[in-house]
Amino acid sequence: MPASTIEVKDKASQRAVDVVVAKLRRRQIFGSHETALETVLLLRQVVAAAKFNTIDQLLDMVRRVGRRLVEAQPREQSVGNIVRKVLKLIRDEYAAVAGPISQSGTSTPQLPTGLSRQPWASSVANFVLLGHPRHQGSSLSLAERSGNSTPVSVEGQLLADESNRKVSSIKPALIDAIQEVIDELETVYESVARNARDHIHSDDIVLTIGKSRTVESFLKAAARDRKFIVIVAETAPSYVFFSDFFRCTPDPLGKIVTFRYLGREMASSLSSAGISTVLVPDSCLYALMSRVNKVIIGAHAVMANGGMFAIAGSLVAASAARAHSTPVIVCTGQFKLTPLWNLHYQYASVDVGDPERVLSSVGDGGDAPEGVDIINPWFDYVKPELVDVLITNYGDHPPAYVYRLVKETYDDEDIEI
Amino acid sequence: MSSTKHTNGLSRDPQPRGPPPNIQPRPKLSKAERRDLQEKQKAAKAAAASSTNAKDKPKEVEKTLAVPDKKSESRSKPSAVRSIARINQPSPSKDSASVESAETEHVLRDLRIFSHFGFTSKIGSSATSTKADIHPSILRLALQFAEFRIVGANARCISTLTALKTVIQDYATPPQTTLSRHLMTHLSPQITHLVAARPMSTSMGNAIRYLKYEISILDIDLPEQDAKQFLCERLDHYVRDRIILADLVIQDLAIEKIHDGDAILTYARSSVVEKVLVQAHQAAKDFSVIIVDSGPLFEGKRLLASLRRTGIKCTYCLLSALGAVIPSVSLVFLGAHALHANGALYSRAGTALVSMMAKQHSVPVLACCETYKFSNVVPFDGFTKNELAPEDGFESRPFLQSLSPLYDLTPSEAVSAVVTEVGLIPPSSVPTILFRAGVQE
Repeated sequence: MPASTIEVKDKASQRAVDVVVAKLRRRQIFGSHETALETVLLLRQVVAAAKFNTIDQLLDMVRRVGRRLVEAQPREQSVGNIVRKVLKLIRDEYAAVAGPISQSGTSTPQLPTGLSRQPWASSVANFVLLGHPRHQGSSLSLAERSGNSTPVSVEGQLLADESNRKVSSIKPALIDAIQEVIDELETVYESVARNARDHIHSDDIVLTIGKSRTVESFLKAAARDRKFIVIVAETAPSYVFFSDFFRCTPDPLGKIVTFRYLGREMASSLSSAGISTVLVPDSCLYALMSRVNKVIIGAHAVMANGGMFAIAGSLVAASAARAHSTPVIVCTGQFKLTPLWNLHYQYASVDVGDPERVLSSVGDGGDAPEGVDIINPWFDYVKPELVDVLITNYGDHPPAYVYRLVKETYDDEDIEI
Repeated sequence: MSSTKHTNGLSRDPQPRGPPPNIQPRPKLSKAERRDLQEKQKAAKAAAASSTNAKDKPKEVEKTLAVPDKKSESRSKPSAVRSIARINQPSPSKDSASVESAETEHVLRDLRIFSHFGFTSKIGSSATSTKADIHPSILRLALQFAEFRIVGANARCISTLTALKTVIQDYATPPQTTLSRHLMTHLSPQITHLVAARPMSTSMGNAIRYLKYEISILDIDLPEQDAKQFLCERLDHYVRDRIILADLVIQDLAIEKIHDGDAILTYARSSVVEKVLVQAHQAAKDFSVIIVDSGPLFEGKRLLASLRRTGIKCTYCLLSALGAVIPSVSLVFLGAHALHANGALYSRAGTALVSMMAKQHSVPVLACCETYKFSNVVPFDGFTKNELAPEDGFESRPFLQSLSPLYDLTPSEAVSAVVTEVGLIPPSSVPTILFRAGVQE
């Protein structure tokens, strides 16, 4: 990994990038929401301090920063999602500014007939470009680039000056758009929980596993209007997040810090909000499933096919729900939607936790016999057939619709950053 | 046993005679009669406290369990002592119709839903009066049960029979009565004390039923010492034939199913499966074992230690990792607490999840179960019969309770075959085996 690549000319921004990259690699920021927030704040700083002449320079800068962030922590898909979102915002803002103006030789982007004048546009490319009105923006920049590199004609120079002014004019709008993303991220829990009372009925018995902040706010919002019971599975051996681990202090007797399962954290949080909670070990999920009305879980990342990475134990819970025909509801924010597919990690974990935690979760401490493999995956892959609905901050969708959401949220050329 | 009686009855009466009115229909009527009586008593109570009941009814929302919940509320049976104590608490003070009482009632609503599981009561600090006539070996055994030092259907059955043998040996027939008539009444409180520590397992139940049968057919003229010796011998043979030898046959049958290079998955700790794996390793089969474990007991860790001593290659994980390990598994071995008449496997909580995942990935599931664990009951889910682990060290807060059922029910479709001492049978053949066993006895 190149340690001293300069992605951004501005020194302060470069330092900020290095700091976030280091935090990601050391897992000092952990979890999709936290990493997304850090990424978008960083990108806002980068864009605000950026100096660029063409839109491509800006796109390239953001892409290089994004690539470095994603390589630092490929398991946090929300980092890549935010980068893709910012790239799309840049193109959108530019298209909004540059769109309606028609220059010599270049056509208005909306009319497909103008494309036929382009020397490189074949009939098939016409077809493809019909579905991507924004590609005219890049074709525009192509002409500009050629105009900039060989300013043979005065017309080309005029064109270049025009575009420079346009390019620098998008910055305030761009910063505003990025700020909207930040606001969306900060209010995602409230937005997802907006219609919670419509999904949970009186005296429902709801099952959840692990500790998802989205699900937590969802249930607490529903509890304002409905009385229901929540069964929380302990979700051993997942403990509090890594970042909290570093903040834990040992107790005065010098013994090891007692960790609490994520499920227990969730249960105590829900019960403090006045929701009747029952804490159960993971083993009785099947036994209790015949009484459960719905299963509500959170996701770490949602793949383009509607499948998702969720905390280890979700696959078992969702399969048991499917065996009992119990609906499975997933609460996510839209920032978790990823255009990637899970081809390499089918049924395997994306991330692996500390094996010592598996042993210490067992009664008599971690004296493991020699030569034993301990498996502690952090995530499960839940295939889309096991999920019934995704509740996001922009509405409820079936998993089969996720590919459409992904297509609308991100640009195709950004799938590989 | 009941099947034996049934066949005997049929062979004795070839002509369809009207049954004597006070013998055959009584078992059916008395239950209904008892229920009617209870309903009448409850109605009387309700009429007396009409205001509280009127408020109670709209809050009774549990659909399927409405009737048995009311029964458990009115019946003062010792099965759900603690839950009843908690349920009866707010009823006199229901006049304070504040939000508080509604909230506490709301929390209590969950207790009712799961209350018929039967809470285990701690007998360590002698909640139940230690009568002078409970044998010390029974006292010791009950403590061991209550503290989960002896777990597992086979272990509990063998230890129970051993303790009962001691009781029989120390038993002295009182004058004016015979051993075959009085011994059972002497043993009953001992068994009740054991059940108070932990609900009786099917294996224990079947063994005790066998003991009762042996006592009932004892020759009256047999001198006391001979009778006691005979009984102890019969118990020894029961353990030897139905458990020890059965396990050896199961080992041989199961080992045939293990091939070199297999990855075998097992859940928690079954004594039979442990023996199978150790035996297979000694037979120089090359395989690896994946142990899946889960709370509240974490028995898999002990299995891990025991298998590592023999040198078997082991992998250990918890139940949440099941999705990650199951694609590499070739065979699943499960232990059984009981096997029911519809082929459903009643075993440690979590077994159903393991077999469900295995079935989804087309991995064969073999349950190892001796025939003495077969049961005539037909349950549908893990709620018909279950046991809750005692919650220790759990900080109680308002609105938060903990629930750890120890067993669950695996539907028969998820089990590929059952390895028993009579061979590899499909789970649906359980009633046939029971019938055969009944006739032979």
